[in-house]
Amino acid sequence: MELTAHAAAGSANLTGATFNFAPGDPAGEWHSQARDYANTRYSTLDQIDTSNVKKLRIAWTFSDGTEGGHEAAPLVVDNTMYVVTPFPDVLYALDLTKTGEPIKWTFKPNPSPMGKGKACCDSVNRGVAYADGKLIYNLLDDHTVAVDAKTGKELWRTKMGNVETGETMTMAPFVVGNKVYVGNSGGEMGAWGWIAALDVASGKELWRAYSTGSDQQVRIGTDFKPFYEQFKGKDLGISTWPAGMWRHGAGTVWAWVSYDPQLNLIYYGTSNPSPRVPDQRPGDNLWTSTIFARDANTGMARWAYQTTPHDRWDFDGVNENILLDLPIDGKMRKALVHFDRNAYAYTIDRTSGEVLRAAPFTYQNWSSGFDRKTGRPTVNPDKEPHPDVKLVNVCPPDLGGKDWEPAAASPRTGLVYASIFNLCMDLTDNKVGYIPSTPYDGMNIRRFAAPGGNLGEFMAWNPATGKKVWSVKETYMTMSGVLATAGDLVFYGTSDGWFRGVDARTGKVLWSQKVGSGIIGQPTTFLGPDQRQYIAISSGVGGAAVVRADINAGKPAAFPAGGNTLYVFSIGGDSVTADSKLSTR
Amino acid sequence: MMLAEALRGESSMAYHHTFGPAVDRITSLGWGLAIISLLVIAIISVLLLGGMFRKRVAHSQGLAVRSDSGGVSWIYVGTGISTVILAGCMLWTMVVTAAVSRPPKTPALTVEVTASQFWWSVRYEGVSTARSFITANEIHIPVGEPVRIELSSADVIHSFWIPQLAGKMDVIPGQTNVSWLEADKAGNYRGQCAAFCGAQHAHMALLVVADPAPAFAAWQESQLSETAVTNGESDGQKVFETHCAVCHTIRGVTPEGIRGPDLSHLKTRSTIAAGLLLNTPANLAAWIANPQSFKPGARMPAQILSGAELTAVTSYLSKLD
Amino acid sequence: MRVTVRTLCAIGITLGLLFTGACRRSEGGSATTPPATGFPATNAITTAPLGQVAGASGNVTALSIANPFERNPQAIEQGKQLYIKMNCAGCHAYNGKGNMGPDLTDTYWRYGGLPVEIYKSIEEGRPQGMPSWGAALPPEDIWKLVAYIESFGGSVSAKDYEHARQGDQPGEQIAPEVLAQKP
Repeated sequence: MELTAHAAAGSANLTGATFNFAPGDPAGEWHSQARDYANTRYSTLDQIDTSNVKKLRIAWTFSDGTEGGHEAAPLVVDNTMYVVTPFPDVLYALDLTKTGEPIKWTFKPNPSPMGKGKACCDSVNRGVAYADGKLIYNLLDDHTVAVDAKTGKELWRTKMGNVETGETMTMAPFVVGNKVYVGNSGGEMGAWGWIAALDVASGKELWRAYSTGSDQQVRIGTDFKPFYEQFKGKDLGISTWPAGMWRHGAGTVWAWVSYDPQLNLIYYGTSNPSPRVPDQRPGDNLWTSTIFARDANTGMARWAYQTTPHDRWDFDGVNENILLDLPIDGKMRKALVHFDRNAYAYTIDRTSGEVLRAAPFTYQNWSSGFDRKTGRPTVNPDKEPHPDVKLVNVCPPDLGGKDWEPAAASPRTGLVYASIFNLCMDLTDNKVGYIPSTPYDGMNIRRFAAPGGNLGEFMAWNPATGKKVWSVKETYMTMSGVLATAGDLVFYGTSDGWFRGVDARTGKVLWSQKVGSGIIGQPTTFLGPDQRQYIAISSGVGGAAVVRADINAGKPAAFPAGGNTLYVFSIGGDSVTADSKLSTR
Repeated sequence: MMLAEALRGESSMAYHHTFGPAVDRITSLGWGLAIISLLVIAIISVLLLGGMFRKRVAHSQGLAVRSDSGGVSWIYVGTGISTVILAGCMLWTMVVTAAVSRPPKTPALTVEVTASQFWWSVRYEGVSTARSFITANEIHIPVGEPVRIELSSADVIHSFWIPQLAGKMDVIPGQTNVSWLEADKAGNYRGQCAAFCGAQHAHMALLVVADPAPAFAAWQESQLSETAVTNGESDGQKVFETHCAVCHTIRGVTPEGIRGPDLSHLKTRSTIAAGLLLNTPANLAAWIANPQSFKPGARMPAQILSGAELTAVTSYLSKLD
Repeated sequence: MRVTVRTLCAIGITLGLLFTGACRRSEGGSATTPPATGFPATNAITTAPLGQVAGASGNVTALSIANPFERNPQAIEQGKQLYIKMNCAGCHAYNGKGNMGPDLTDTYWRYGGLPVEIYKSIEEGRPQGMPSWGAALPPEDIWKLVAYIESFGGSVSAKDYEHARQGDQPGEQIAPEVLAQKP
């Protein structure tokens, strides 16, 4: 019968969404943090599926010897695994062909320790990028470095900023062809935000687009065609600020970039404005908390959309933009899905910047609605902070409804899967002055659970209808990236140390494993030299998930200590070591 | 070398001689009530003295009770007149206070004043966001235009008082009070903190400068402009950035230090130290070297600068126009 | 009114209470006038070493330099204002419990928790991102900050400088051989 055949094939795509998986890296390898240009984080490997995932066991582990939050995903290229640590940003190459996965080489870049005290949210590193036989990644002290993948020798190093001023770099570079895109961090330090393109071969900077300032500095020209009226005008990156304040207005670019090869556009978001006290900077504060589409070659902006105008709560716009085509109101649209810090899930036309869907994906009370005509959220005046006045119960808190931890999408279900939060805050703003190398911040925050009591949640989202399909509530924060596979599985981790495999269609948790420390990294999957499918995840809690006693008030101290172990799982825990044919010892 | 000189003889704490619609009617009311009170005092005094020294009639019979000679009606007359006069004064007061409680037309200019111990921060809102700017201790207003003043406090209770332009309005931490003022003629008007706020309350003055409209517009433009780095003063600027920028701002040169007054375009101000000293290089140098000798208890600490550093930074600051 | 003994006693007691209250209040003097003994000399502070002194005999009395503003309520309040205005709160949190920078309320001090050690950390800066404030803030302001940090309760008293370095805690026992080692 047809129905049974459908069910048996499991091919029910609920939304009609389709994806472009360019650049089409080998299925058994993982070359880029986001897997592909569209940022799907989806793997076609299906050896591990809903029927056998409960047999997943630890195959091997690797401790990298550093402190701090482990946010990066390991890459696998040519039977070598590349693992980058948080500060001091050490890069390990592990030989997967040998028993025990020994270290092939270690690269120690020696970044300046000053960065440790300038990184707002732990001295993390969100991953390396692979291109053209090189591994390219950012150091905390504002240098981008390229390392030879075979030998571990440094090929080039480019100084992109000055750590003494308070800016750092934590994001994973993004490669398209012969260019690599990098951006800075420092939205709490009054940095001047930017994204830059470097030449992959030489490391030379090709162009840099700032997030505030004149149109020339922001690389806005005649091709700029934003959809909404409030983004049309000259030098809005200056005029939407009090005199001079755009210089330290932040808008840093510290998370993800995606790319559409047909439109030749890159997509990324900018951080909150600085200082974090809105009354000190009236105006819309463009181009902070903004999603940009730029020409991938020249960096000239094509469109921009500001998700939170005059952001008052530290709602950065940096979260990933997953590119997909899907039917909206009967028509097929080239779109992107973006879960913003402000708790709204956006489906946006990626050719024009028009918002097609905007709906809250978690509890929020800062906004009473979204105006489709103007593209502006309606702010609830009760939730506007003013200096020296305690504002209670603002939801979500500065961490947002979802932070940088990236979502994944599945072409089999047509759904998008994300780790999100269920949090609120009490907030008091204090006026601040800008003193270079110190925070330009002013928010005094106490965070706690929103109604429901759970701090975290893992959900499946329908981008066509703008609705949650299913969710798994978690006691502790869920701040890990997501992996989706063709085995109809999605994987995520919790900040108290559980790594889970979930049925992508039903949301049933099929497998869980407690690991050494909390998980805030990104899982990946690959085929070993034995052609077996493995799943890899780093454990080591930190980052902004370390919100500590104030968030765990009343609960026993189940919040784990830090750690630095990479876990690799397989069915039965089998691996090269158990297969004597491939063992070289 | 004090403020009085800066004002060139205009005695501006004289609140009985006012120059603006926010207070003119109150001044008239004040005089009116004073005159009425004096008259009442005079009349009552005459009656009382008359009563005291009136010849008494001798009573040879020693009657225990005197017969009524009919003076009760005077009580009705006296009470009646007093009631009418007092009611009239009350009505007059209410009418005047209602009339001055808000400006005659919506003010085009709003100035946010934040009071700290022991100085005033002043923020001008512009027609657009990019045209707002901050200055300190000196408020410029256009002549003949009402100006809305929003008052907030950075620490304790202060009070905003420009005797010749505006009545006292308390500045209370945690809330924003609103006042307004308007100047009829151009000139300098002194203001003073009017609620005891700490050791240097007496030296927490401010200046309101009323300019004709074109001069006011020119002043606004110059305040918005960013100071160019002046050649030859780069040493002074370096000293400023190292030692002073954590607390003070100079627009375009150093970013926003907010613990102390904004010093952008310092040369355009007639006084320093919240009206305590005339703005001259000699006073600047003395103040920077040891503010506590002028204003013990002010929040600015004595600076540890060498002679050369002090000379350089004073020279730099006195050229900031 | 006749002035009875009772009245005199009442007046005397009232005045006495008022004066004792005032005495407590002004303990330590005003925060904005330099203390009678002045601030500790800069060269004395510089000699306070970060590590222990090589060789058996080392002069570490510099470590016992006390904060002239210790427990002075006005200095603590002004130190708190400085803590906020100089953006210390941005790294060390408004309640001192740390975030980007370490917790200042607990008893762990990477560079030492004595008043002079905290002073030096602020004045000199430290390699992992603590800026140096010596050029921007005069000693008076830095000692006020130290007073505020001391008020969190996690710092070490200046007179306990040996114990702080050697990890001693109040109430511990000391082995007799160790006692015998003391000069």
